[in-house]
Amino acid sequence: MSVPLTANHKSLQCHRWDGVLDWAQMLSGAGLITFMWMHMILVASVVISPSVMNAIAGFFESTGLAQVGGPLIFLLFLAHFVLAARKIPFRLEGQKTIWEHAKLLHHTDTWLWVVQVVSAMIILVMGAIHMWVVLSDLPITALKSAARIQSGAWIFFYLLLLPLVELHVGIGLYRIAVKWGLAGRSDRKGLKRGENLLTLIFITIGVLTLIRFWFLKG
Amino acid sequence: MARSLKFNIFRYNPQDPESTPHMESFVLEETDSMTLFIVLNRIREEQDPSLQFDFCCRAGICGSCGMVVNGRPSLACHTKTKDLPEEITLLPLPVFQLVGDLSVDTGSWFRELYDTVESWIHTKKAFDPTAKEERMENEVAEAIYELDRCVECGCCVAACGTARLRPDFLGAAGLNRVGRFLIDPRDERTEQDYYQIIGNDMGIFGCMGLLACEDVCPKHMPLQDQLGFLRKKMGITALKSFFTK
Ligand code: HEM
Ligand code: SF4
Ligand code: SF4
Ligand code: FES
Repeated sequence: MSVPLTANHKSLQCHRWDGVLDWAQMLSGAGLITFMWMHMILVASVVISPSVMNAIAGFFESTGLAQVGGPLIFLLFLAHFVLAARKIPFRLEGQKTIWEHAKLLHHTDTWLWVVQVVSAMIILVMGAIHMWVVLSDLPITALKSAARIQSGAWIFFYLLLLPLVELHVGIGLYRIAVKWGLAGRSDRKGLKRGENLLTLIFITIGVLTLIRFWFLKG
Repeated sequence: MARSLKFNIFRYNPQDPESTPHMESFVLEETDSMTLFIVLNRIREEQDPSLQFDFCCRAGICGSCGMVVNGRPSLACHTKTKDLPEEITLLPLPVFQLVGDLSVDTGSWFRELYDTVESWIHTKKAFDPTAKEERMENEVAEAIYELDRCVECGCCVAACGTARLRPDFLGAAGLNRVGRFLIDPRDERTEQDYYQIIGNDMGIFGCMGLLACEDVCPKHMPLQDQLGFLRKKMGITALKSFFTK
């Protein structure tokens, strides 16, 4: 005999929020990735010529995109952190469990998640510092950026932040594709290879950019 | 020459107050087409009759022999020693209650799961035993059958980082189970009804997409595709009810 339970209740109140938060988490991540790509175009343009970078920065400045968009991106960054942090084990017990689990399982995707979480926590701190320094000293110009990168330990700061962000972005994109069924079983291998390639390309562009800034003199 | 295999096996009997969890080693000569099923039975017969582990069908059908083989949740009867190195570590599946040594209670876990997801056809039609069975498109029947192949071994649950962190997580097997009824035309539950069950962090939105479930499932169930399908479906249901209320 079948005993209908849920089907008997006419209008059950839906817990819509978990679904909405999952969307928000994904969209905040996707939004940040879009921003990171635009960001890459801006700073990597210095490799072509500092004046190109200045022109792009000037455009953001004069249209008010930098002044308004900057803080908005910062908010998005914080929102993404709050949303994604729902999945991070903040208690030692959970951290131990997932660490032991990953070590035992020898499973790449499980390790990728650990990389994503660890990179995220570091990006949270370093990204906030970076945004503060840049946004509190507008406008952005190639020379100012170059001066910062050449002073103190900033070059090491960026040499660390760059691969962390690119790893987080690469894994994040891959994860969105598999979680939301955009990539099926047969696409997974190719997707992963594409993602790795993309990460590598972006790290290379980033390093080239940093090198250019390092040798850029006023 | 036959290899000499060393098995490090987890030993603990929760019933015995004297017993403490520890690893014990056994050495065995490898034979032709040796599986872990053969290994464990030989150890029990020849070396230690107190060794506890579960078996039934020894053909990958009953799902009772799941254990962690060198870190990977697998069916012991399906695992050939020739695919393994000389040193092999066997642990009981995590998440589930330990019965003793390598034996865990997956049955109670799955029973509770099926109660939670109401794993039966929900219909208001009265059953007429004399009537002919209702017809169904062949593709639909095959799709349902594909999702029914799960043998409830628990490997996907033991391999899942989310399940390790959240005891209430339904796991890939549980979500797959819901997906099976979702495509069954006889089940009258609506998407909202399913959303009640899995539209939360205990269900599909808890899944972090680590895909260990997909990679370890001994029956190669289409778990990645199933999880993606459910997330999309439930995500859209969430948006619909968000904007219509
Ligand atoms: C404040 C620092 C950040 C933290 C704490 C953080 C944290 C996380 C965590 C824990 C996840 C995994 C969520 C899951 O598996 O469900 C994640 C996913 C993701 N993150 Fe971040 N992240 C940060 C910054 C960023 C930045 C700067 C970007 C982009 C440039 C980004 C892009 C993504 C994407 C695309 C995903 C995948 C989203 C999904 O699977 O739904 N994150 N983030
Ligand atoms: S989905 Fe696969 S791994 Fe999970 S319980 Fe079923 S058969 Fe076992
Ligand atoms: S994909 Fe989801 S259900 Fe499968 S192992 Fe990962 S978190 Fe668990
Ligand atoms: S003994 Fe039945 S699945 Fe292994």
